[in-house]
Amino acid sequence: MTPQCDFTQMPLSGKAGIGLRAQHLAEVVASPPAVGWVEIHPENYMGGGPALRAIERVRADLPVSLHGVGLSLGSSDGLSERHLARLGEMIDRLQPALLSEHLSWSAVEGKYLNDLMPLPYTEESLALVAAHVGLAQDRLRRRILIENPSSYLRYRHSTIPEAEFLAALVRLTGCGLLCDVNNIYVSGRNLGFDPAAYLAALPAEAIGEFHLAGHHVNPVGEGEILIDDHGSEVAEPVWALHRRALALIGARPTLIEWDCRIPPLTVLIAEAGKADALAAAALKERDDVRAA
Amino acid sequence: MSALRELQCAVGRAVLGLDEASIVEAIHGDGLEPAARLAIYRHHYLTSLTEALKAIYPVVCRLVDERFFAYAARGFIDKAPPREPCLFEYGVAFPDFLAELPAAAAVVYLPDVARLEWAINAALHAPAEAPVSRADFAQVPMADYPRLIFRLQPSLSFLASHWAVDRIWQANRPENETVGRLDLDDGGCRLEIRQQDDAVVFRRLDAAEFDFRKAIADGKSLEAAAAGVLASDPAFDLAKALHRLMGEGLIAGFQLSSPDPIA
Repeated sequence: MTPQCDFTQMPLSGKAGIGLRAQHLAEVVASPPAVGWVEIHPENYMGGGPALRAIERVRADLPVSLHGVGLSLGSSDGLSERHLARLGEMIDRLQPALLSEHLSWSAVEGKYLNDLMPLPYTEESLALVAAHVGLAQDRLRRRILIENPSSYLRYRHSTIPEAEFLAALVRLTGCGLLCDVNNIYVSGRNLGFDPAAYLAALPAEAIGEFHLAGHHVNPVGEGEILIDDHGSEVAEPVWALHRRALALIGARPTLIEWDCRIPPLTVLIAEAGKADALAAAALKERDDVRAA
Repeated sequence: MSALRELQCAVGRAVLGLDEASIVEAIHGDGLEPAARLAIYRHHYLTSLTEALKAIYPVVCRLVDERFFAYAARGFIDKAPPREPCLFEYGVAFPDFLAELPAAAAVVYLPDVARLEWAINAALHAPAEAPVSRADFAQVPMADYPRLIFRLQPSLSFLASHWAVDRIWQANRPENETVGRLDLDDGGCRLEIRQQDDAVVFRRLDAAEFDFRKAIADGKSLEAAAAGVLASDPAFDLAKALHRLMGEGLIAGFQLSSPDPIA
């Protein structure tokens, strides 16, 4: 088992980072933006070639975080040896500051559903995910931050609340958590739970990164579903929830994600600046409270 | 079967569009129809994979238009779901699928344009290896030359078509403002596709050069590759062809074939 680690002492806890996508790669290589770090999906670069070489050039100027979407840690198919090996090669090559994946599954019966499918939260699935996280951490010789998913459904036979499931996963594997504030808000609205209570149930010391992103409100029949499309600015209620997270958890490396209808780089940099200002204000408030 | 396994198989079938009924019972409505919640995942599966195919096949999409492309992509996705998480690897069989698609039969060159786009995509995601130098090569005794088997740059591939797919591709790039005019009497072409510096390039080769390089790429020995070309082009200059291959940095390694092949 990997030893516990204090994520409050992280090298990236200065300025916020941005998700780096293909559209901005050449621009970022030519002139590194004034952000703290960048995060990439390793799956887009696993073949090699010019894009991976460009990421290596970015890596010379900015810390890089690897945010995997393909390990399928919750899959009863088991982990893909090929994918683990490729991820290991990518880690050796880029020496990322952070490594993260998702509490979800994507592959079943050998088919890859290209989505982060929700798990039922049971003792059985906890044992399976814990075994896979443990195996991946051993093979990659890295602690992995596990991200809370955005969900559009929940299963009747789930017995463990998601935040408690994540806390148990931390206890069982020594993994860290990636707290995606937008996902908490989206899932809370979609599945009817209180985002603030969810935040409070997460083990704060295990959280090693925050994610912030935009979502889309989609009318369905009489109601609505929030879609985690990463296609707009961070919504106001998500900033509010992030303020609460900062007060509860403290500052952590924070990332702005944007994956569809990708705007000019300056828009992402402005969002990262907003996250920095929010974190600075929250920390000052906390220090003032302590000093008083 | 475990409860988790059973659930994932059933959810998988619903997302793949095979069967939804067996899983609806296991999902909370929370104010909506469970089927409406499942439909979000089915929708994302289809649209995200269609986008992934469109990113690899932009010229095919332009040639047939968005609606037809979405129809063809949907058929392909249903027939050949992805098996790996890296989407740049998804869609190698799309050109063959298009060739079998009756509704696309009139666009005779479409499968070969798709093959060119796949070759470009594959070259874009291939590593670049250090080329073999003349000094590395000098150690091979002349007598062993016929048995040389080369490993070429991983990005390199070859495509022969009855159509001028290189011109069709150039004329129909998505960034072009107007759709290029096609002249089907242009004749065919033999193309070499490869990564060069940080871009992918392709060019036409003559028949002898194409056959030689393709035979080498297919793992034939230098002797076998040369024999194949010389049979149809007695004037083929093997030494010059080999020099060109090496001079362009396309040889990444070599070995000698067994002196006494069993077959």
